[in-house]
Amino acid sequence: MIWVSWRQSRSQAIACLGVLAALAVYAILVGSSMRTAFSHDGLAACLARSQGTSCPAAVSAFMNKFGSAVNIAFWSVLLIAPGLLGVLVGAPLIARELEFGTWRLAWSQTVPRTRWLAVKLALVTGGLVLLGAAITAVITWYRAPMDRLTGHLINNVYDFEGLVLTAYILCAFGFALLAGLLLRRSIPAMIAAFIPWLAIRLAVEYLLRPNFQAPLTFRQNCASGCSVGAGIGSVPPVTGHIGDWVLGQPAGQSGNQLVSYLYQPADRFWHFQFIEAGLFVALTAAALGAAIWLLHRRPA
Amino acid sequence: MIHDDVVGNAPALRTAGLGRRYGHVWGLRDCTLTVPAGAVVGLVGPNGAGKTTLLQMIIGLLQPTEGQLEVFGETTRANSAKALARVGYVAQDHPLYRDFTVADMFHLGRAMNPSWDQGVATARMDALGIPLKRKIKGLSGGQQAQVSLAMALAKRAPLLALDEPVSSLDPIARLDFMRELMAAAADTGVTVIVASHVVSELERLCDWLIVLTGGRMQLAGPVDDLLAAHRLLTVPRATRDAELPGLAIHRADSDRHSTVLVRIDPARLAAQERREWGVEPVGFEQLVLAYLQRPSGASTDNPAQAAARPGPATKEVTR
Amino acid sequence: MFRFRLDSASGVPPYLQLVHQVRQSLLLGYLREGDRLPTVKDVVSDLAINPNTVVKAYRQLEHEGLAGGKPGQGTFITGTLSPATPDTHHALRASLERWLRDADAAGLNDDEVTALIAVARNDMRKEKV
Repeated sequence: MIWVSWRQSRSQAIACLGVLAALAVYAILVGSSMRTAFSHDGLAACLARSQGTSCPAAVSAFMNKFGSAVNIAFWSVLLIAPGLLGVLVGAPLIARELEFGTWRLAWSQTVPRTRWLAVKLALVTGGLVLLGAAITAVITWYRAPMDRLTGHLINNVYDFEGLVLTAYILCAFGFALLAGLLLRRSIPAMIAAFIPWLAIRLAVEYLLRPNFQAPLTFRQNCASGCSVGAGIGSVPPVTGHIGDWVLGQPAGQSGNQLVSYLYQPADRFWHFQFIEAGLFVALTAAALGAAIWLLHRRPA
Repeated sequence: MIHDDVVGNAPALRTAGLGRRYGHVWGLRDCTLTVPAGAVVGLVGPNGAGKTTLLQMIIGLLQPTEGQLEVFGETTRANSAKALARVGYVAQDHPLYRDFTVADMFHLGRAMNPSWDQGVATARMDALGIPLKRKIKGLSGGQQAQVSLAMALAKRAPLLALDEPVSSLDPIARLDFMRELMAAAADTGVTVIVASHVVSELERLCDWLIVLTGGRMQLAGPVDDLLAAHRLLTVPRATRDAELPGLAIHRADSDRHSTVLVRIDPARLAAQERREWGVEPVGFEQLVLAYLQRPSGASTDNPAQAAARPGPATKEVTR
Repeated sequence: MFRFRLDSASGVPPYLQLVHQVRQSLLLGYLREGDRLPTVKDVVSDLAINPNTVVKAYRQLEHEGLAGGKPGQGTFITGTLSPATPDTHHALRASLERWLRDADAAGLNDDEVTALIAVARNDMRKEKV
């Protein structure tokens, strides 16, 4: 049964490896030049000493040169990539058997259909976890120099490092597998799974993530002029500590001399990663559990 | 003979009041029969009659809603390894994985069936000239059907179920498929049940017959016995059904005479036969078509069924 | 090897067709005493028919004394079907010619003669059932 699962997933596995290889090639090309520039400009020492305040020219030169390599449009595409990957792998797993009638072959051999699914799930989710970890590793390595300027708690960096990327893939996979069982067709299942996945993904990022833990408040005395630094391009952010994620100003301030900012400190990165990954893994488990239960209960 | 230790003397198939409901609709109801081991059974009925429902319950893919089902003397839960091991299945349109090679399909069979005999599978491909390295999508329809059959046979199950296996094949491929199937039956004594709605092809294959319409069993039994129990009577038009020496199954009325296919009640035959009636034996296709054309609500008054089921005797349908 | 054939449209049960073909071949001299009939497996692979049909046909031939099985070796023709003796033929031929002249004198044409023969045969068959 392990051989059967592997043989049926073989072409998908090769495609995923291809994607990973392409990503790795890109990462190596750009990452190497990033690393060279980083050491060349003496940024390491500057950051260690002053969090970047003492070498603004070098910082902005570096950011300008490699900022486009991390620009919003590109990362927006990559935002949905884990979802696409998950649904492309998950939707056909059961749906294709139902669509082409091969379930009558697959489920009439001497292997009960729930065991058939369990073995397939074990193999494929294992593969997706490895894939997610590999993609995360590649992206983390590639971004390492830039991360030393921006930290990795902020949006669009957090989403690709740590645990969450793998969790996103798994969740999309789980939704698509369940949708495939219910809808019996691969393409509709992909769409029916992707939309809720994306909705949850965005809701978690923009509504829940800023509040995983109560944000801290930073007060800035603006009597002598304020640096307004909350965006990704400001090194360091307004809190003065690289890696902090500034959420914005709470409402109801105007014309005060003391300006407050809400922020999440950089050292909460792993805590947040565990919360968010745990949430998506729980959704995955629920979807896969429902699929196994429904398969067990199907009339034929 | 296959699995004599498993088969023993039990009938290949025994059902009592077997039924399956989908929501509010009964796909099959009140099915009672006993099929001996080694029989080749033809399962006939129009589309939607319940053939696939019955087959899937026998195969172990579908749980009955009511009644009992025994395959070689054992009742098992549907979708359990034990149920699935007993029956080799060739589904309609012989589904296979199109990107697999023939060798891959056999590898799948070996991986998923403890009783798999690889020699049987490869010997068949040799005899038919089908290369093991060829992808399924590169085979003709007839060759794909042969691969499906080889997989079902290599499973070495004592019962083989085929759901309209040749409906999409050209006549030569059909003949080749049936040749292989019958040769396997001759070799191993496997019990075969073939569902089809093409009646003319079944006569040469089957020694046992089941006719289903509207989810109900209209006729079931050994072909020889069934043919011996029926006659085609040519009678004057005015003759009423109640005057006939048995149950009228199908009646065609002309201006002055009627042709009636009758299931003879031996007790009444001697008393009621008259000189001006023509009496002929009934052919296989005639018999099946007559039963297929009966309204599905009509009573079958099947002696075997009536004996097996206690309760009020069913009434004859009279016109 | 003797090859059987099957006519699915004839309405005659398959096993009877096989028996008739053996009888016919014996009459015509195509099968002789000592010839081996094909095995059940051979016939089944050739015609795609139920093995029990072949078994039944061979048993019927044994019953009629025309064939017999030797365990492990197959089924062999053991008897002959002697056509009617020349005398019987001659007598039947004479009465047939008389009858045909009678029919001709009564005004029946060829088709009507054939139809009359078919009806008479049919009625005789029914009486046997």
